Parts: sequence; C-alpha cells; structure tokens
Amino acid sequence: MIALSVAAVLAVFLLYTSLAGGGTPSVSPGELGATSGEVSLAGRVVGTPTGDPHGAGLRFTLQDFEGAHKQSVAVLYKGSVPDLFKPGRDVVVTGTLRDGTFVTAPGSMITKCPSKYQGAETPA
Amino acid sequence: MAELGRAALAVTLGLSLYALLAGGYAAARGRRRLALSARNALIAAFGSTLVATAVLVTGFLRDDFSLAYVAGHSSRALPTPYKISALWGGQEGSLLLWLLILTGYSALAVWLGRNRLRDLLVWVTPVLAGICVGFAWLLVGVSSPFEVIGAPLDGRGLNPSLQNPYMVAHPVLLYLGYVGLAVPFAFAMGSLLSGRIDERWLVATRRWTIVAWTALGIGQLLGAHWAYEEVGWGGYYAWDPVENAALMPWLAATAYLHSVMIQEKRGMLKVWNVVLVSLAFCLSLFGTFLTRSGIVSSIHSFTQSSIGAWFLGFIVIAVIFATTMICLRLPLLRATAKLESLISREATFLYNNLLLVALCLTILWGTSWPILSEAVRGEAVVVGRPYYDFFLRIFGLPLLLLMGIGPLVAWRRASLRGLSRTFAWSAGAAVASGVVLIALGAGSSVPGLIAYTFAAFVSTTIVAEFARGTSARRALTGEAIPRAFSGLVARNRRRYGGYVVHAAIVLLAIGIAGSSAYDSVAEGRLARGETLSVAGYDLTYRTLSERDGANATEIRAVLDVRRDGDSLGTVSAGKNAYAVEQQVSNEVGIRSDLLTGEDLFVIAEQVYDDGSVQFRVFVKPLVNLIWLAGLVFLLGSLITLWPDAREQRRLVERYARAARSNRRAASTP
Repeated sequence: MIALSVAAVLAVFLLYTSLAGGGTPSVSPGELGATSGEVSLAGRVVGTPTGDPHGAGLRFTLQDFEGAHKQSVAVLYKGSVPDLFKPGRDVVVTGTLRDGTFVTAPGSMITKCPSKYQGAETPA
Repeated sequence: MAELGRAALAVTLGLSLYALLAGGYAAARGRRRLALSARNALIAAFGSTLVATAVLVTGFLRDDFSLAYVAGHSSRALPTPYKISALWGGQEGSLLLWLLILTGYSALAVWLGRNRLRDLLVWVTPVLAGICVGFAWLLVGVSSPFEVIGAPLDGRGLNPSLQNPYMVAHPVLLYLGYVGLAVPFAFAMGSLLSGRIDERWLVATRRWTIVAWTALGIGQLLGAHWAYEEVGWGGYYAWDPVENAALMPWLAATAYLHSVMIQEKRGMLKVWNVVLVSLAFCLSLFGTFLTRSGIVSSIHSFTQSSIGAWFLGFIVIAVIFATTMICLRLPLLRATAKLESLISREATFLYNNLLLVALCLTILWGTSWPILSEAVRGEAVVVGRPYYDFFLRIFGLPLLLLMGIGPLVAWRRASLRGLSRTFAWSAGAAVASGVVLIALGAGSSVPGLIAYTFAAFVSTTIVAEFARGTSARRALTGEAIPRAFSGLVARNRRRYGGYVVHAAIVLLAIGIAGSSAYDSVAEGRLARGETLSVAGYDLTYRTLSERDGANATEIRAVLDVRRDGDSLGTVSAGKNAYAVEQQVSNEVGIRSDLLTGEDLFVIAEQVYDDGSVQFRVFVKPLVNLIWLAGLVFLLGSLITLWPDAREQRRLVERYARAARSNRRAASTP
C-alpha cells in the first residue's frame, strides 16, 4: 500500500536526521569528566545556592542522583530560574565544563522535580 | 473507609476479569446469555469504581490524613474545590480517575449499542474488559490509593502549580481524551475478532472519536494556557515529553478522523484506519506511561517506579494484540476501490494523513530518543526545540495549505483546470496578503510569512464555501440569508462543522506564528521609577506590595504601562510564597489587547532586598488567537456532534445493509 510505503520512507528519513542531526548528550555529574563540548547535565541541587542569577551568576552544586560515590560539580548559571529550583530538587542545565566549573547557557535551566511526573500533568 | 475503597476496587477487578473471560468465551462459542452477563458485569464495574472514587473524594473532603494519598496531596487549609481536584494530583488518584472514566465509557458504549450492534458488542465487551483489568490490577496490586498511615496532623498540601482552575479541568479533559480513544480501538478490535468486517464499527465510533479528540484538544489548549499564565516562563508549549504525550495521540486521532471519511465514502484505506486507531490508542497508553513513569527525565528513575514496567507491559500487549489481529484479518480488509488519480479528494486526504502521521512519528521519535540512544549507545541524547520546530514547519505548513485544498477537490478524479478555477480567489487572497504583509515588515520571518499567507488561503476557501453553500440554498428554497445559512449548516453538520474546526486551526496557526516568529523581549533590573521599553511599550516600575493571601504570601510589583505616549493603566507581576508546601511560584502580569490580540507579558524574575526588581517583558502579537481557536474548535466539534435525525436514519439503513451483506457472505462458502 502506498501509505505504508511512504510512511516507511519517512521513518528512515527520521532515523537519518536523528542520527546525523545531533542533539545534546545528557549526562550526570559523575559522567561529566569524559565529555567535551556542549552537554545537558542532570543532577540534584545540594548545599545552598549563592549569587545573583541576573548579576554575576548563581553558583550551586549538582550531585549524581545515585551510585555509591555520588560525585558533584560546581555550576555557574545566569538567566531565569524556574520556580521549582531549590536544594533537593532535580534540575537539567545545558552548558560546557570549563576548569572544573560547569558554565551554563543563559536561561537553560529546566527543573525536573521528582514529584513532577508523580503529580498530574504539569508540563514544563 | 479505606477498606471499602480497597474492596470496591477488588470488585472492579473481579467484574472486569469476569467480563473478559466469560465475554471472550461467550463470543467464541456464541453463548448469548453469557455474553449478556459479561456485558452487565462490565456495566457493574463502573458502579464499583464509582464507589471507590467516592470513598477517596470523601477522604479528601473530610481531611482524612490516615489515607496516605490524602495526606500527601492535601492540607486543611486547601480550598474545597482543590481538595476535590487533588484526587488527580498524584499517581494513584490519576489512575483511579483513568479507571473511572474507562469503566464509565465502557458501560455507556455497551449500553448505547445494545440493540443495533449486539453481535459486534459481544466481541467489544471482552476487549474493553481487558483494558479495565489492566488498570484495575494496577490500582489493586501495584499502586493503591487506599494505603493507610498513622494520620499526621496536617497533610503535605497540593503542589501550588496545581492550585488553579486550569489544573482542575485540564487533567480531566486529557483523560477523557486518552481514555476515550479506547472505545474506537475496542470496536475496531471487536470487529476484527468477530471476523465480520463491515463499516459499522467506524460509523458507531465516529462520535466517540470526536468526543475524545475534542476533549484531548481542548485539554491541551487549557494546559498551554495554564503554562502561559501560571508557569510564567513566557511561552505556552515547550515540547516537553509530557506535553508531547498528549499531542501525539491527538495527531493520530486527527489523521484517523480524516481517513475514516475515505473508507466510508470509497471503501479504501481499511487497513490504514485500523492501524491509525490502534496507533492512537497505543499512543494514549504511551502518554500515560510517560507522565507516570518519569522515564524520559532519566532512564534511572524508570527502575525506581514500579508502575513504569507494568505500563510498558500493557503497551507491548496492546501493540502485539493489534498487530496480530490486523495480520490475521488482512484478507478481509481488502479495499473495494482503488486510488484513481493523485489529484482527487482521496489523494489529498491521503497526503494529509501522511503528513499528520509523519509529524506524530517525528515527535514520538524525538520524545523517545533519549531512551533509545541510552539503550543503544549507552549515552542519553536529548533533542531540543530546534528539532521539533523544524519538523513542525516541514510537516505543519503543508498541512495548513492542504486544509484549504482537500475539502474542495472532487472525489475520484479532479482536473487541474477545474482546480485553478476553484482556487483562483483563495490563491489571489493569499498572494495579496503576502504582499501586504511583506510591506508591513513580516518578511523578517519566512516561516511566519508562509504561515500567514497559507492561513489567508485557507480562510478565504472556508468563507467561500459557506457563501457558495448559502447562496445555493437560497436559490433552491428562496429563504433569507440567515435562514439559508443556518439551514445549510444544520443539514450538513459534519461538513460545515469540519470547516469551523478548520477555521480554528487557521486561528491557531496565526496565533502560533505571530507569537513565536514576531515576538519581542527585553529584560532589566529596575529601581522604583525606572522605565523599561520594548516594542513600543514603556513600563515604569512604581510600587512593591506584600500581602497575605489564603495560603500564600503574595508579593507584587506594580508597573505603569504606556504605549506611544498613551497611558494603558497598570500591570502587576510578582511571586507567591506558599507556606505549607514551602514553595515559591511566579505570578506573571499579562495585559491583553483584545482588539489586536497582542499580549504584554511581564515576569518579575527576582525581587531584591533594596526593592529593585529584575523584570523580563515579552510582547507577543496575536497570541490571543490561540485561545480563541479553542472556543472555535469547540464550536465546530459541537456542530458535528449535534444529534441529527436524518443521519440516524441513514445509519439504520447502513446497519441493515451491512447485516444483509454479512449474512450473504456467511451463506456463500
């Protein structure tokens, strides 16, 4: 059937674009050392964040969700901070590792609070 | 009380299991009384689920914190409406709502069809019962909403972002949509199981599909509006996996609603329709899975959530079952007509279907890419907004154009010359509006410009169709224009209701293009008396106030708004601090211009101790058309759904014809 064959072609096309078109690798603080370039970093906020996200930048620490030796990394962030950001919450930021500090793209923070998927649909 | 709830759910599980097994046996062996008993069991399952839901709601209303679920999602200070909506504020309650709607739909479907569709329903009952068994089992054996704990003094409260009217309605509508897709799926599978494959399942489930599809569409728009007003990052859709979860089944259902017409009119695309309805249902399961399991945020959380594996199991079962049934019945699903020309109504509908399914699969691919890449390459890769935006343009813009072409192309075969006559006006309008828009400076965004011109094309076509129909009817009956118009719509509800829905999609496209391609943004830290300018607006920060609300401390910054020197009043933005939930939420200030549909959108990002405030201000042209589109969409759906006596008569004839041909087919060896 025409429909199915065209759909199959489209599927291949998708496969191609996804493999070639990149996307950003998503890593945890422990896996950060092995990466270069821009990555999306997911971790849990620990300690007390300091600084002004709209001035010199907000500084906080992100830690692995799990593992025997939870590793952590310092993060420098500028731009809008989502409502759900606070110690103990899970966040995702995009950026690059420079001299041991993860420098983020401005405004790239997304919170993934554990209760989010537990709660009703609460998009973004 | 908790015992009653648990018992009621166990009864639901037992009844659905009985309806599945007895119903399946009765259908295979032709036991009519047993089939009737299975049907009654399915209806009774709705009753017991209703009892369980009532118990949980009562628990919320009475602040019965001995129920772990109530303690985790409510507090004494929570306003009563939110105590009720807290029912679907978490996983267990959401599943209970799923089951309630599923059993309710099932009961209604088997009851409504009891006379005319008896032989089909014999097979539909076990399919619906099978789905009920799955969800009832989750609630009884895996994730019970009736866990009991030592009652704390107060509950932990409801997530503040869920404390608003949108979050009362949005999840319910989404579930009405998700679950509603189970009904056409069950009818399709029932029809395949019965081996008597006629068009009755299609005709019988058309309304169900439209209801589910409308609920899903409105639910998503409410969600978008909620994100826009409450989440306060300045957008309404972020291609978040949870949002995509609702969009995908909606797209599949949209494709299905169109291809169904081809099967009804021309007997084509029979396999395709069954595939689409199965896809829509499986995607709605997948959507629930995404929202419930948390797999997309991290593959690691998947193993922690007990429910995810079960859902994955359900999806696998549903996919295998649907695929097996389609393959087994393939010989019976042969088309009775062939595509005669690539320029015909059938062909344009086929293009529309391909684009919709392609868009749907693209989103599915992007959403599951982190999981797939982690499984294959050991590294989770996320695709971002550019990926989705790219494909939305590639597939969405042609779809927009087709919407204006498809309904006017002749069935079977159309001539190019005829087409150029039909579309002369619309094409003229599109080109003219394109020229005007470029002159006005809309050329800054090519996709936006294309969207606008296509929108002009489609809306001209729609208006011309209404005008042509009305004048034809006037010529025929001599009625006055308003009467001829309403008569026209009343006599062809499906057709003109469909045009109204198309008009809604045009509004949506204009709204999305305007607000995403032509928006402006500015930000800055302002002390009192300072001014920020953006896109012709001047905002001056005046005062900062703090007051105690019902369950939050509300901080608000007030700004004077002026445009081109004229004062437009004030707008206030700030933050709410919720004490019980220990959370802060952004409360954005929005000033809508109802004449131009433009919004001024103010976020108070940060309030400093010295009283200065970091503001972020957006100007979003035409964004209000998106919300208007929701109303028009609802209107169009209601027009098509409105009961139509003539259509009912045609339906009865159709059923009779199908039954006759079935008997003939059965008697010939």
